[in-house]
Amino acid sequence: MRRYEVMVILDPDLEERTVAPSLDQYLNLVRQDGGSVESVDVWGRRRMAYEIQKKTEGIYAVIELDAEPATVKELDRQLTLNESVMRTKVIRPEIR
Amino acid sequence: MAKPVIRKPKKKSNPLKAAKITYVDYKDTALLRKFISDRGKIRARRVTGVSVQEQRQIAIAIKNAREMALLPYTSNTR
Repeated sequence: MRRYEVMVILDPDLEERTVAPSLDQYLNLVRQDGGSVESVDVWGRRRMAYEIQKKTEGIYAVIELDAEPATVKELDRQLTLNESVMRTKVIRPEIR
Repeated sequence: MAKPVIRKPKKKSNPLKAAKITYVDYKDTALLRKFISDRGKIRARRVTGVSVQEQRQIAIAIKNAREMALLPYTSNTR
């Protein structure tokens, strides 16, 4: 079991209220595989330093979780398949 | 013959120690902005005055932040 931090940039056209529940759907995958979700922090709409997919803004969310490596890999794959996810990043905070 | 002037290197204050930061987080853009130039380039260690290890952590953090559009790759001020 390892600690991970997943950052997601979502499409700014989404309703900000729907972000947390829809992310939670994906996080069920983690819980089913014996991992645990520590925190889901939705930053909200934020101006990006450069355009991604012709958009100047994005909804940022940071998720902290404990899970097996394979589980996180699958979570990341599932997220990138979603059209409204513009970018993801998985980081292991304690090692650098 | 003129003696070569030996300049005493000026000791720079370590900005990380000043802020009491042990782990450089790529999400902390306010901190990382101190280590990039106006054009978005990473400042050299001789400018920033941090240790080799810290400089490496900063560089990695900046690159991660750039990937997530938190910091610019380039900014065309000119």
